[in-house]
Amino acid sequence: MTYARRRGSGFVWLFLAPSLLVFALYRIIPLGWNAVLSVERWSPFRPASFAGLDHYEEMFFHDEVFWRSLWNTVVFMTSAPIAIALALGVALLVNAPIRGRALYRAAIFLSYPLMPVAVGIIWRWLYDEKVGLINYGLISAGLISRGIPFLESFEWAMLAVIVAAVWQILGFFMVILLAGLQSIPRELHEAAAIDGAGRAQRIGRITLPLLRPAIFLCLIIGIINSFTSFDLIYVMTRGGPNYATELLITYIYRAAFTLTRFDYAAALTVVLFVFLLALTWLANRASGGEAGAVEAAE
Amino acid sequence: MRPSRTWPIHLALGVVAAVMLVPFYWVLKTSVTGENIFAYPPSLWPRHPHLYYFVDVWYYIPFVRFLLNSVVVSAIVVAANLAFNALAAYALTQPFAGKRGVILVLLSSMMIPFQATIVPAYLITKDLGLLNSRLGLALPLCSTIVNIFVFKGSFDAVPRSLIDAARIDGLREWQILWHVMLPLSTSAVATNVILSFIWSWNNFLWPLIAIRGEEMQTLPLGLSTFLSYLENTTGALYAFCVLVLAPGIVLFLLEQKRFVEGLTSGATKG
Repeated sequence: MTYARRRGSGFVWLFLAPSLLVFALYRIIPLGWNAVLSVERWSPFRPASFAGLDHYEEMFFHDEVFWRSLWNTVVFMTSAPIAIALALGVALLVNAPIRGRALYRAAIFLSYPLMPVAVGIIWRWLYDEKVGLINYGLISAGLISRGIPFLESFEWAMLAVIVAAVWQILGFFMVILLAGLQSIPRELHEAAAIDGAGRAQRIGRITLPLLRPAIFLCLIIGIINSFTSFDLIYVMTRGGPNYATELLITYIYRAAFTLTRFDYAAALTVVLFVFLLALTWLANRASGGEAGAVEAAE
Repeated sequence: MRPSRTWPIHLALGVVAAVMLVPFYWVLKTSVTGENIFAYPPSLWPRHPHLYYFVDVWYYIPFVRFLLNSVVVSAIVVAANLAFNALAAYALTQPFAGKRGVILVLLSSMMIPFQATIVPAYLITKDLGLLNSRLGLALPLCSTIVNIFVFKGSFDAVPRSLIDAARIDGLREWQILWHVMLPLSTSAVATNVILSFIWSWNNFLWPLIAIRGEEMQTLPLGLSTFLSYLENTTGALYAFCVLVLAPGIVLFLLEQKRFVEGLTSGATKG
């Protein structure tokens, strides 16, 4: 130990330097710069001048698209509880001692690591009004008489992208919940069974309470997802039709890189970030700070 | 505890698995027939499968260039992640003044999603002169906090006596990292490779912002450009999709366990 200490800890900072540089450049400095930019009037073609809270005023009082995208972000967030509920059912099923469950798990997880851009294109194709598989299925089942242009219709577009988002994340939630399920000691279930508890009772009284950390972890991931799901929306609807699927993140992109209003986009980003922090903090508190106390499945 | 009948479980799981897999089947079918782009009702089985659309991909777009860009950017990201994350994680296993501060900075940086930094990230990259370059595409992903903690968890499990012995033998710190820590952390290495590869390979928003013109486009960007030019008028779009998805799917099927472990540890350790 004395030998080690004599060598000094200079190398520690040398070793940390590359990573810290990357984070400084792409996390920490941007956060500060973004905050500064949000109270300035600035564009690539104009020198900066102080704007105070003008951008925020415009956003809160004069920008309907902002409120629309904020609301849509909240609506899109419902994909998290939906996916979690489905994933919980699936996790309970694939946790049963049946043959071929590894195969089922693989099939259900497969969609998760795939490129969201390609996933978006596949779903556009499934949703197609004239030749899409979904409309074909619905018509064949006699539920509708003419194809629905899901992604082009104001009423259906949001639901349509939520379904695609749930499809992609389902397997991921399943794996997290499965890890939680497998960490529950079998003896608990056996003891309860001996005491005469039925299957439903055991799930309600033992499984669900002990799964709390895993469920909240999924919830927090789902919340973050709804603030960051840019790719899928951009490919499927570009935020349309008529802002029906415009999320905060797609609006920020549009404000900055289509409308070239970097300063306004920065103000929008501040709102997104504060909103995201507040929600994850709330979810963390509601879970009693135990979300994430799960180990990966073996 | 064994349920007496398993067929209801098989039935339910069969339906779920089918729903999860049908989109893959459908895009694959369309890529080899293209028939239901024009014909209605769509046939459920491919009638006259052919590979012309895959050939078309070659002619419609510079597929090889997109592929090369994607591969180069991902290679930079994976190599940088292994090197930078291992170095940082090793430093974090040592006692030093300011360690708590560094860990605090890392943990709070983790709360900043990249999506919340796109405007300044663009401006910074522009100032660095790295817009429209492969290095600029790779740079924001070159070190990832989750992966540092994956390494740290693995390094923490290595007995201190082993490190001290190596020091007494006169090994330098980077030699200890290379000859002692990394060989004992193969699963952390695998997790780092898988996570950083997936993040970089699938990355779309950043290339969309940082790249102008066709020269430096990566696969996801090329795919989205292709979509906006041709819409759903050709099976080549779906052949392109299949080509882009295939490497990930094959990798997943080969390394299923590591994949699932890696991706979930990415979330749970975060």
